Order: sequence, then structure tokens, then C-alpha cells
Amino acid sequence: MNQGTDKLLQYLSEVEEVAEDILTDKNQLVDLDRKRNKNREALRALDKEIKADQMPKKSLVCFGNMFIKFPKETAKKLITDDQAKLEKEVTNLRNGLKHKISKLRELEGKSELSGFSLQPLSREEMCAVEQFMKPCR
Amino acid sequence: MCTSTKSSAAAAKVQEVREITRIERIGAHSHIRGLGLDDALEPRQVSQGMVGQQTARRAAGVILEMIKEGKIAGRAVLIAGQPGTGKTAIAMGMAQALGPDTPFTVISGSEIFSLEMSKTEALMQSFRKSIGVRIKEETEIIEGEVVEIQIDRPATGTGAKVGKLTLKTTEMETIYDLGQKMIESLTKEKVQAGDIITIDKATGKITKLGRSFTRARDYDAMGPQTKFVQCPEGELQKRKEVVHTVTLHEIDVINSRTQGFLALFSGDTGEIKGEVREQINAKVAEWREEGKAEIVPGVLFIDEVHMLDIESFSFLNRAMENDLAPVLIMATNRGITRIRGTNYQSPHGIPIDMLDRLVIISTTPYEEKEIKQILKIRCEEEDVEMSDDALIVLTRIGMETSLRYAIQLITTANLVCRKRKGTEVSINDVKRVYSLFLDECRSTQFLKEYQQEFLFNEMNAEPGSETMETS
Repeated sequence: MNQGTDKLLQYLSEVEEVAEDILTDKNQLVDLDRKRNKNREALRALDKEIKADQMPKKSLVCFGNMFIKFPKETAKKLITDDQAKLEKEVTNLRNGLKHKISKLRELEGKSELSGFSLQPLSREEMCAVEQFMKPCR
Repeated sequence: MCTSTKSSAAAAKVQEVREITRIERIGAHSHIRGLGLDDALEPRQVSQGMVGQQTARRAAGVILEMIKEGKIAGRAVLIAGQPGTGKTAIAMGMAQALGPDTPFTVISGSEIFSLEMSKTEALMQSFRKSIGVRIKEETEIIEGEVVEIQIDRPATGTGAKVGKLTLKTTEMETIYDLGQKMIESLTKEKVQAGDIITIDKATGKITKLGRSFTRARDYDAMGPQTKFVQCPEGELQKRKEVVHTVTLHEIDVINSRTQGFLALFSGDTGEIKGEVREQINAKVAEWREEGKAEIVPGVLFIDEVHMLDIESFSFLNRAMENDLAPVLIMATNRGITRIRGTNYQSPHGIPIDMLDRLVIISTTPYEEKEIKQILKIRCEEEDVEMSDDALIVLTRIGMETSLRYAIQLITTANLVCRKRKGTEVSINDVKRVYSLFLDECRSTQFLKEYQQEFLFNEMNAEPGSETMETS
């Protein structure tokens, strides 16, 4: 009996652990996307100012809690680099989530989600296939 | 990943709604939900709507495992047994156990004889209906609730418009600058604050999902098509993955059809050219190599297989060897009989060379206890309350006549019961319908007695010599 309880507890904690991991990743994805969108807004604003050729050549950039004055071009480059890094991180997280979810499903005794490991069809191929899946469009 | 599971959940919800509105007729095998086996493939006496036939079910279970592991393609199974011994039930059980994703086609042996297409074409189409191709669609989308949309028209009236779009989810909010094209499609879709929209990143296509619940009181009068949805959760920019399973036949149809107006019609397209099929096979093979597609071998169930003729059998023989062949399950209730289209006799009406390739499962007549169980399950399925002694009487009837007849009596007895405003079907109700409706035995008896009074009566020979002919 005691052994049974131990086993159960161990199993439950294992499930919880994986589930918690997934939730953390999801939260992180949201955080990253928030950052990504803020960066995008900043880039857009910088672009506009550069185009308008406004007088101050430098712009205030906020890092964490500190404002630093940077030349606009440098600031732009910094943010663009950051953006590329974020993009990579998001992709990695998303790909990792897939394994974690299939692991969780396995632990919970659910059937495997099939097909998600496939390579996606290209746009043209999907267009052709869509013709009979969503007719009249 | 996360979004895809969400979208599939949404799809399931839509289906549920549909199921409520559709009037569901209760089919003869609607109570079957699987083969009723445990993890060790041992059949439980009564489970998932299956009763008895334990040997057959165990055999079917083994075959099912083989199908799941993809080992049995190119072979075939024959379920043989007397009428009313659960052949179709076992096939249905196998289909249910394979899950919703596995294609399962049911045809009756006589279905292939049609004026519009040749026998082999009909068979080929059902073969290809039973093979699924799993593909994945991946899109990068921006999904959120419109907080504000602001479009500035230049004062001069000409020149490019500029605009801003504020989108939010439950977690975040952001502003997008809009270009000329985006503004056009947003105006075309009549997007306004409070709408939930998705924007396909690659194509810029905008889809309106509905209005936000929080905006439900914005207007008093609203069209019936206004749909209210929750504000999306999580990130704004999502990756959406959807897995589709389509059958080879569907791909065949779209490719053999002339484009244009005809594309609106789906359904029978007549015969499909061999070249089209070859092209499709090549394309699918290419996708498989690139890791873009998976083949899902399904099951083709041919009921009343003795109705096929010798040409169909030889076609089947060859088609089974194709590497894209589904698992073939056939059922027959015939013993040694003439093969259709020849004068030769053969077991089950199937040529010997074909029989040689088959794994044969036989079903045996049900015992009294099992018949009682089945009748009980059917009563539950049809929402009929029946008293115990009525069930016992009905079981006796089932033993002496046939199971199908007894099942018919359930519904009719229930109607009689409701007419007398009773809540539970009693013995008297069963007796009454038994006297109202003849079973096959009594009907034959009646005919024998009164045959002289029927029209066109030409029963001259002794009864029995004129057995049922299949061709």
C-alpha cells in the first residue's frame, strides 16, 4: 500500500513537473513576443525619424532602467540584432514545446498527436490541397 | 504547437454543436464503440457494445495491432459466418478502434455494379478512399482584438493613406503602422474596434473571427451572423500548425477535374484517368521522401463479398499487391457456392487463389445468454425501458427466430407501450407485436398455406430446390 502511494506520488510529481515546464515555456514565449513587438515599434519609430531627417542625430534608448543616448543608426542596429536573437529563441522554444507536449501526453496516457513532426507543405502545395478541403473559396 | 491544439479544440466544439442540431437516426450498429478488448488483447465478455464472439474478436484484435504497426498492408481478412452473427459488428468495431483519423470505407459487394463506371474503377476508387495522406499546414499569424483602428486620409484627397492599428491579447498590446495595402484589406473586411482578427503574416490575408465578448453591449441591433469570441490569450504573433488527413481519392478527384465552375461540385466525378493516379502517386512519394507527408493505410470493408464476380476478384488479387494498398476486410454469409460469373463452386463464393491470401475469421451463432445481453444493449441504445420478463420472452423469440427480428421487436413493442401510455415494455406488448409482425419462419409458413390465393403463383416444384441465386 505504502509503496503504491509512493509510486503514485512520484508519478504525479513527474507529470506536474513536465506540465510546469510547458507552462513556463509558454509564459516565456509571451514575454519574448512582447519584447519583439516593442522592438518592432521602436524600429518603426526610429525609421521614421531617420527618414524625416530630424535634427538631433542621437536618440534616447532605454536599457532596463537606464536611458542611454545613442546615435540613431547604432540604436537601430542594436535593436535589429536583438530582434534576430529573439526570433531564434522563439523558434527554439516552439520546437522544444512540441517534444514536451508529446511527453506530457505520453505520461498522461493520451494517444500520441500524429503528424506534427512532419515538414509543412509549401504555400503553393497548400493552396492546391485547400481546394478540396474548403470548397468554394 | 499551442495554437494548433487550441484550434483543434475549437473544431471539436463546432462539431459538437452540429451534432446536436442534426437528428441522429439510430443505426443497427450504433451501439458499437470498439472491439471490447483489454490491453492484453483478451476480449471482455461484454464491452464497448460487443457481446460474445470472443474468438473472432481476439483474432480481429490481433489483426488490428498489425494494422496499427503497418504490417498487414497487402493482405486481407475474411469474416465468415451465418447471417446475424455479428460480422458487420466486428468490422465496425475495428473501424472504431482504429480511431477517427484512419480512413475506413464500407462498401457492399453489389455496389460496384453501376452503369456509370466499370467494376474495376469502382473498386479502385474505394481502394483509394481507404488510404489517407497526412499533411501539415504551418502558418505564422497575428491574432488579437482590435483596440483601435485609425486611418488618416491626406487632406488633398490624393496620395497614400496612412494608418495605425492597435491589437491586443489578454497579455499584451501593440501598435502596427499600416501601409496602403493593409488599409485597403482592412476596409474591405470592415474591421472596426472590438473585432477579433487574424492576419496571415505571409500573405497579409485578414480573417475576422468575430467580436469580442467585452463589446457585446456596444450596439442594440446586431445581425444574426455576429459571433462573439473571447479575446485571444498569449502572444500576438503565433505559429499555427494544422494536420490534415486527406484520402488519395480526394486528391485524385481535384486533379482530374477541369478547373473553373466545375470545381464547385464535389461528389461523383465518374472515372479517373490512370495517368492522373500515377501523377498523384509520384507526388505523394516525393512528399514522403521530403518528410512532408505520411501515409495512413486505412481499411476497406467489403460486405457481401460473394456478390463480386470473377473479374473483380482477379482485380483485387492484383490491387492488393500494390504498395499503397489498404487492409482489405471482407465479409460473407455464404457457404460453398457458385463464384459469380463462372460455373465453378468454391467456398464462400471466392476463388481458391484469392482464398489462399486471406486470413479467415469465423463467427458462430450467439448463445441465449449473449442474445439477452445484446437485446439489453439495444434497449439502452434506443432508450427503451423493458421489464425483465419481457426481455426473457424477447430472448426466446430471438433464439427461435433471429436476432435481427428480435431487435426489430424492441422498437415496435416500445411504440405499442407508448400508445397505452406505459413507461416500461411488458410481456403483453412483446406478445402483441409478435402477433402483429411475422418473422421469416411464420411468413414462409403462411405462404405455404395460402400460396394458391396469391397472384402469379408458379411454385410448381417442391420448395427448397429453388435456393437463393446470387447472380
